[in-house]
Amino acid sequence: MKIEGTQELRAARTRVYQALVDPEVLKRCIPGCESLERTGEASYSTTLRAGVGSIKGVFSGSVKLEDMRPPDHYRIVVDGKGQPGFLKGSGDLDLEDRDGGGTVVKYSGDIQVGGTIAGVGQRMLQGAARMMASQFFTAIEAEALAESNEPPPKHGFFRTTLRWLSGWFRRAFNG
Amino acid sequence: MIPAQFDYLAPKTLDEAIALLAQHADDAKILAGGHSLIPAMKLRLAMPQILIDIGRIQNLSYINEDGGQIRIGAMTTHYQLESSTTLKQICPLLPETAAQIGDVQVRNKGTIGGSLAHSDPAADWPAAIIALRAELVATSTKGDRVIKCDDFFVDLLTTALEPGEILREIRIALPSGRTGQAYMKVAQPASGFAVAGVAVTITRDQQGRCQSAGVGVTGVASKAYRAVGVENALIGGPLDAQSISKAASTVTDGIAINGDLYASEQYRHHLAQVYARRAIEAAAQRAQ
Repeated sequence: MKIEGTQELRAARTRVYQALVDPEVLKRCIPGCESLERTGEASYSTTLRAGVGSIKGVFSGSVKLEDMRPPDHYRIVVDGKGQPGFLKGSGDLDLEDRDGGGTVVKYSGDIQVGGTIAGVGQRMLQGAARMMASQFFTAIEAEALAESNEPPPKHGFFRTTLRWLSGWFRRAFNG
Repeated sequence: MIPAQFDYLAPKTLDEAIALLAQHADDAKILAGGHSLIPAMKLRLAMPQILIDIGRIQNLSYINEDGGQIRIGAMTTHYQLESSTTLKQICPLLPETAAQIGDVQVRNKGTIGGSLAHSDPAADWPAAIIALRAELVATSTKGDRVIKCDDFFVDLLTTALEPGEILREIRIALPSGRTGQAYMKVAQPASGFAVAGVAVTITRDQQGRCQSAGVGVTGVASKAYRAVGVENALIGGPLDAQSISKAASTVTDGIAINGDLYASEQYRHHLAQVYARRAIEAAAQRAQ
């Protein structure tokens, strides 16, 4: 399954990049991330309780960041499996300055999903990926905007949804 | 195909049910027919620790019409809506939609409230509910809350229902004047879910032009949505073949279309346009 998208964040590019490679930040921003342990220079092992609505599954696996060129680009490689199935794939993130301030993040990747979740949930995979990407970047934006001396923002599902909604309204009504 | 262990609670009243839900909000799921939840549990894609079955509560299954409003209890089954002679006369879109859901077993057990609260992106009810501009009544220990259908569907399998809230009733303004309605869909041959489904209500003014329009679309995106562009393009127009076709061509404007192995984004985009056109044509023809 191909995943592609563009996300506009209001924060400066260097800060967004910092947030996107900081394991502490990633742990807070990846929807359902329960642990993220460093296993190498830029590789981590992780446990995710991922899902939407009442459909949830626990995945464990590895995350590797490659080809890091701050503050422009990196490549993320994931490999995980769990009770509902497995997923593996990779994706590229490209950061650009946005006209009038802020950052545009372009992401594109290819993910293979198998097992029960792919067998019965195939028709919802793209929607689920979109939803989680949107939650993730909304949380990253909040992190990148936060002053470094403040305590980290909270990303309860409700807050993230609210932030996502307010972002959506902004885009919908301000063109 | 054996679910993980769970506790089963069967309250006798709605008050009891919302008290139980308030107590177990994080671990409990409401069982309201169970034709999505139980399969997910059997595959262990959903593993709630507690099921609160609201199927034994009296007075949650009804179709009433009074004061210019249709009120439908959340536990009314698809079959009850499909076979209601009252609805066939006053709001035929509901029986027409119900008749196209799943198969006989699903329609006999599945409920309108269960379907809406689950918010499957390809379920049929959300399209009809949006076209009819329904209001949904949620109840919790804090009392009732009325949610407009446009605010109800938030994202994939996600609604505006808060933890602790149970969808209790669906309210629809009684259609009046020269109104026609239609629901048309392409069903996925294996599941019966909509690959693309469009529900339409059209009201004509005295000159026969389109006075108001409601267009709800399901199966195409991560959630059912109102095709505002189509509605605006229809209103005030003559409802001839050309204007309908032009309006229908905007049905996915601004929408992130989802693709899957069965239907690509491009194919869904095409189906949505064709079925929007056909549903509008049918509704316009019925609005005499």
